[in-house]
Amino acid sequence: MIETGLTTTSLTLGYRERVVIRELSIAVPDQSVTSILGPNGCGKSTFLKALARLIAPTSGQVCLSGDDIGKIDTRLLARRLSILPQSPKAPEGITVSDLVRRGRTPWRGLLAPWSEEDARVCQQALEQVGLSDLADRPIDELSGGQRQRAWIALVLAQNTPYLLLDEPTTWLDLAHQLEVLSLLQQRNRDHGTTVVTVLHDLNLAVRFSDHLILFGGNGLVAAGQPEDVITPDNLLSAFGLKALVMPDPITGRPMIVPH
Amino acid sequence: MSGMGSGNVVLRGWALLAGLLAAAILVSLAVGQIMVTPAELLRGLMTGTGPGALTLRVLRGPSTLTAVGAGAALGASGTIFQILLRNPLAAPDVMGFMSGAGCAVVAGVAFGLFIPLPILAALGGLVAAALVSGLSFHRGGRQSPLTLILVGIGIGFFASAVSSFLVIRMPPQEAADAQRWLTGSLAARNWGHVLQVFGLGALLFIVLALQVRAMALLELGDELAAGLGARVERARYGLICTGVLLAAVGVAVAGPVPFVAMMAGPLGMRIAGVKHPASRLTAAAIAGATITVLADVISRSAIPGLQLPVGVMTGIMGAPYLLWLLWKEVEAGEV
Repeated sequence: MIETGLTTTSLTLGYRERVVIRELSIAVPDQSVTSILGPNGCGKSTFLKALARLIAPTSGQVCLSGDDIGKIDTRLLARRLSILPQSPKAPEGITVSDLVRRGRTPWRGLLAPWSEEDARVCQQALEQVGLSDLADRPIDELSGGQRQRAWIALVLAQNTPYLLLDEPTTWLDLAHQLEVLSLLQQRNRDHGTTVVTVLHDLNLAVRFSDHLILFGGNGLVAAGQPEDVITPDNLLSAFGLKALVMPDPITGRPMIVPH
Repeated sequence: MSGMGSGNVVLRGWALLAGLLAAAILVSLAVGQIMVTPAELLRGLMTGTGPGALTLRVLRGPSTLTAVGAGAALGASGTIFQILLRNPLAAPDVMGFMSGAGCAVVAGVAFGLFIPLPILAALGGLVAAALVSGLSFHRGGRQSPLTLILVGIGIGFFASAVSSFLVIRMPPQEAADAQRWLTGSLAARNWGHVLQVFGLGALLFIVLALQVRAMALLELGDELAAGLGARVERARYGLICTGVLLAAVGVAVAGPVPFVAMMAGPLGMRIAGVKHPASRLTAAAIAGATITVLADVISRSAIPGLQLPVGVMTGIMGAPYLLWLLWKEVEAGEV
């Protein structure tokens, strides 16, 4: 079998004695939007970090197009895969454009000047998140939603085929959550970017994802298309949640109504 | 991508910063026990004769330029630590690296070691930094910036105490010189010192320039930095080494002048109105040079007939600022 995309083989993750993920072999489908779901403490953030090599596995491996990511040169990996951690903190006073420009770092030679390509990609990233007009504003002066979009512009400027985000909608109100997620979906549709997010809100995840990975307290519960993953049985075993699943009146996808 | 409006403001900031340094240098060359007019200085520079030439070549030129070099090195050094630890209190003077460098130099002199001062200073600074890092280490977690700073203050006191002990055991004349040097002094500097501080300083600035992109990533947090292709631990240790060595270069020619490293960064950043690490480091270097040159002029001329060491003046300027910073930290509930 020729491996493509982002896959794990017998991946075990943990901190010191505590094992969080055990012997997990799973594939993230290429050029789709995948959401990782599960209750607090189930290891979904840990899993995402392992996919981005921020955490070294206890055993097993993560592969990107068949290459063990543990063996890829750091800078080359940063050209293929980007990650936005949860609640990043901007240095005091830096502007949106200064932040976004730093996303070009993996593409620039040590002494290479700022190129037209760099400028174009940054411009495009700002346009995609709708912040072109606020490029010269300090991040601290933006609203929560704008700030999150500025961080997303940073990883868009990194311009990688794989884009991982850890709870990109935390602290945002519902309208801004929708805004951020449709922005990521748009990126996927326009550029074929493989987007992987950790999300809390099940209904939003279903709405914006092509593929779901559902964890429970004891590891993986289900993975696949939303229709196959979001079932009353799976919700019960992952969250201990009794819920009805019915078609969303707008999208026809599964919608969760807790009892 | 930066707007024209903010571009002009920043340009004005740089011009102001450069103008202040130029003015400070001019005042430093002109003012002293004997006043020399700018016209005489210019004539001395052009013709190489007259009182202006003597002032430039022997009396004030070398010490002024040494102040510029040492101040720039200290300013950049302070800003490295302030950016890495995200705390304005983080600087090689506050955190004991400069006391460590000073202590090593005094020990070298006391024991009659034939090791060049910059190397002694560098070793002392690195040992102090390793001690600070080692003593604040605890398993699992990363040290909080404030822990590192407080441990550094402790190491600094310890190094100063060792220096005092060594000085007391020296013969009287040597002890007086050493004590003066330990305060931070630019008296009797010659062109050798100028060459040394600019040569080593330039080398380290080149190294720093190569590290600045990694620094801009580290500023975003370790995880983002790693995701953007930085080798986080390696980059951090590299920057710490450059910072300690820059401080040591300053200490080797001017002694452990207090507070220049701590004050230069915030001052330069405020005047130039810049935020990116590359600009902050440059601004801090210029501001550090300006502070040191000015402090030297004032300490030379404040009391007629008495030349105070430059460190006395930077101490008088810096201590209130340090207290103000501490007060702000207390207000914010950090201490």
